[in-house]
Amino acid sequence: MTAQEIRLCGLLLREHFGEVVEKVGKHLLGGGAQTLRGIAHETGLPLDLVKKTLCVLVQHGACSFTAGRKGPGSPAEYWACCDRILRILRYPRYIYTAKTLYGDTGELLTEELLQRGHMTMSGLVKTVADRLTQNMEEGHSVDYSEVSSTFSKFVETRFLQRCPPPVRAAQTGGGAQAAPGAAPAAPTGAAMLAPESFPDCYEVPRVTLVGRGKRQLAPEDGEEQRSAKRAKMDPETHGDEGIYWQVNFERFHQHFRDQAIISAVANKLDQTSSEIVRTILRMSEVTTSPAATCTKPLSANEIFRSLPASYNISRPTLDQYLTLLADDPMEFVGKAGESGGGMFVVNLHRALANLARATLESIVQERFGSRSARIFRLLLRKRHLEQKQVEDFAMIPAKEAKDMLYTLLSQNLVQLQEIPKTPDFAPSRTFYLYTVNQLPTARMLLQNCYKTVANLIERRLFESKESKRLLEKSQRIEAILASLQASGAEPEQLTEVEEMITAPEKQQLDVLRLHVNKLDSAENQVDETIFLLESYISSTAAAPT
Amino acid sequence: MPHLEPQQRAGAINKLLSLVSLRTWKMKGSDNQEKLVYQIIEDAGNKGIWSRDIRFKSNLPLTEINKILKNLESKKLIKAVKSVAASKKKVYMLYNLQPDRSVTGGAWYSDQDFESEFVEVLNQQCFKFLQSKADAARDSQQSPMVQRNSSFATSHEVWKYICELGISKVDLSMDDIETILNTLIYDGKVEMTVIAAKEGTVGSVDGQMKLFRGVNPVLQPTGLVKTPCGLCPVFDDCHEGGEISPSSCVYMSEWLEF
Amino acid sequence: MAGKGRGVAFTFNIEALGIGRGSMPEARVGPSPLFPTIEFKPVPLKAGEDEDYMLALKQEMRGTMQRLPHNIKTPTNKAEVEKYTERYLKLKQIEDEDWTPDWNLFPKELMPQTKKRQVKKGTKKKTVKISPKDATEVLNKLDELAKTDDGNPEKSDDETEKKPGNEDGEEIEEEEYEEEDIEEENDYIESYFDNGEDFDAGSDDNMDGEATY
Repeated sequence: MTAQEIRLCGLLLREHFGEVVEKVGKHLLGGGAQTLRGIAHETGLPLDLVKKTLCVLVQHGACSFTAGRKGPGSPAEYWACCDRILRILRYPRYIYTAKTLYGDTGELLTEELLQRGHMTMSGLVKTVADRLTQNMEEGHSVDYSEVSSTFSKFVETRFLQRCPPPVRAAQTGGGAQAAPGAAPAAPTGAAMLAPESFPDCYEVPRVTLVGRGKRQLAPEDGEEQRSAKRAKMDPETHGDEGIYWQVNFERFHQHFRDQAIISAVANKLDQTSSEIVRTILRMSEVTTSPAATCTKPLSANEIFRSLPASYNISRPTLDQYLTLLADDPMEFVGKAGESGGGMFVVNLHRALANLARATLESIVQERFGSRSARIFRLLLRKRHLEQKQVEDFAMIPAKEAKDMLYTLLSQNLVQLQEIPKTPDFAPSRTFYLYTVNQLPTARMLLQNCYKTVANLIERRLFESKESKRLLEKSQRIEAILASLQASGAEPEQLTEVEEMITAPEKQQLDVLRLHVNKLDSAENQVDETIFLLESYISSTAAAPT
Repeated sequence: MPHLEPQQRAGAINKLLSLVSLRTWKMKGSDNQEKLVYQIIEDAGNKGIWSRDIRFKSNLPLTEINKILKNLESKKLIKAVKSVAASKKKVYMLYNLQPDRSVTGGAWYSDQDFESEFVEVLNQQCFKFLQSKADAARDSQQSPMVQRNSSFATSHEVWKYICELGISKVDLSMDDIETILNTLIYDGKVEMTVIAAKEGTVGSVDGQMKLFRGVNPVLQPTGLVKTPCGLCPVFDDCHEGGEISPSSCVYMSEWLEF
Repeated sequence: MAGKGRGVAFTFNIEALGIGRGSMPEARVGPSPLFPTIEFKPVPLKAGEDEDYMLALKQEMRGTMQRLPHNIKTPTNKAEVEKYTERYLKLKQIEDEDWTPDWNLFPKELMPQTKKRQVKKGTKKKTVKISPKDATEVLNKLDELAKTDDGNPEKSDDETEKKPGNEDGEEIEEEEYEEEDIEEENDYIESYFDNGEDFDAGSDDNMDGEATY
């Protein structure tokens, strides 16, 4: 856990769960596994507040717990899941992707699940049906079964999964014991049982759910609505109680990765090539594990049969494209054999490494200019070079090359190796070789990304704080307007209230909105860099399959 | 040659002079030290030798060497050439020698100054050539394989194109052009493939031919560099509450206003 | 993570690289500016339908999460906020059910120790064994905590019903809050020792309640 990760996690927790959760979350991130008492004591927060906070964190998967780690009867220990908290930054992308895959229903299913952490299928389907109905014309509504069927498709494609069943030993909080050795030895992510290790992970339960989405009552009937809600919540069983669902981030990430590869192929080669790669990846979704180095080999025959007819690619043309793809130095596609008209794979890890490399190059290019980027790429390709060689290959005059190397060195984008010719390490008898190490550089830039997003959030909070009074005023006026409108007030009355915000104030608000939008958009777009770098880094850690 | 008659002696000398060079005659007045220095310079060939190295080899005091060098220079027996290897460093070689590339830097140097602009112009021109070739290939609507193959250019083709442009005052070799093409590879704009070529094919070397083509980048600029922080020179000094902080950042303000 | 290069003392002799002395970046005269001028500007952000939609999703998500029961308000912060603002903002709060975690998924020790509150009409469940003194004390505390916590939709049912009456008394309770913190400390110690007993006595089954946050 780096300082930058903790800082960003803290800000994300604050913005979505409040400052108390931020405080406890940061405490857990910094201090490793801790007991309830320990957390309350060290944060100085009231015990009940800490309990509630831990519930929120556990509900959202941001915190895990285990009992009896320090021997039978020892109290439960809690630890934060940094990766899971950082995923909050990617929520918009998950939801948007769900929309592109499964329409509005997919969008709302994902959004609700992310907001609530986990839900039962029946609860989720009802909520989403209500929300969909809310957005329809008066007199229309959505049948639960429609939402249920989208939900089932979503599970079938593994974007949603069951939460792993509760571990008995863990939840008894010191009561019952886990079998010796069953409790995880170290509080790491690995301690959590992977959802996929349960056979029912993608098993949609039988749910008895009949009805249609309900429209919410008009807001002025607040009290009635409350009771109506409560009535709805009355014990009504659907047969799926206790079975909770969560968003399968891994699956979304696999989809993002595939999209990144497809769009890279489209950029580098052409649209048709990218459609062929899309087909191969789609065929491999079920057969290839998310961490695999490359997809299962597919023959040109199989690929041809799976190509959507709309692409209009003839068999000989496909063969040409496949040959060209396999020839391309980016090595997105590889040839794995000759049978069936040639066997082909998508080199998933290689593609990630190449995309990460392109990301690094892009950063150096935009930050230090194209000639520094030339040096950087040169070093990436040639591994070790002396300064003179850098000058000669890059065709950059000695003085400039020195300056550029020095700048890159000072930013840790380039490293220097000393290779003494003699055992006395005398500088005059030592080779100084410049080099770029892709993986450590990617790690460093990933940290920079985390810091950047945290900076963007801080700046947004600062901008909003600067205009706090004004923001509150405008919210107040909007609220008054809304209630006036609802009570059928005269138009003059409304204008009068509207004019409580002066022209300069309005302008200031517009500027603020512009700034907030820009900062928010930037957060979203930096997360794309984060995604690529994270995927690359984790692909280098995965055992080859 | 004491046993020879003066006439015979003169004849022999004249003959030698006509055969070898003028140097023996010119050397007539010089002493042994001068001969030694001359010898050392001659041995250095067209790579030349630095005065300090002459001192090491001759064991003569530097002042003496400087005097001799001046003398030899004035007689046009040797010349001083500025080396590109180290600025302000002169090397000496025989007057009639063509300095080695390592001394002059080849086509890219004019009077030991690296012609950076010249290199960049050539870099752009080569790329323009390859790019137009790739564009033409794409627009040809041919089969994918034919498209790809016709987007390639040999180094010889690029060389010919550059020569015909007439932008270079000096004669550029094919090696020179390949050096430029390599910078385009490091710019991420060009890819190279080596193919086997029939003996005698134009532009082939040892039965191999280098093919170059312009390529598109795989990625648009990444998200990080769309923020001021991605380019910030004081990124590491920045922290909330500090003198440099996200709230007080002028790069951020400028970016937001833009 | 990776050490940053700025100002780093190199482990080697810089001069041997030829980047020493004269060829080092220009020596600075006077202090360097806090924000030196930069040569390159950020690349423009991507703009388009996708980006706009994700921006809207992001802002909506943030707004919604702040109004959900999972967003825990800091009790002490409440005093800063003008009451009338709050009243209007309340309109915008999600009219939502209380959050009732499924206690099968959480460590039992995280259940709020509010015996009475857990009991809902019509739900069959046993109560946690807590000493009467303890229970009342905790109850009082929670009551007050909850009141101070006004504007927050996560409340138990009883609490919600009581609400209209609460609002007037709010001011006083805020002042009282300081003292409460100290009490809380004591309570913490007490419950710390009490707790073991709690867990031994209250086995899984009688804790299978519906405690609500």
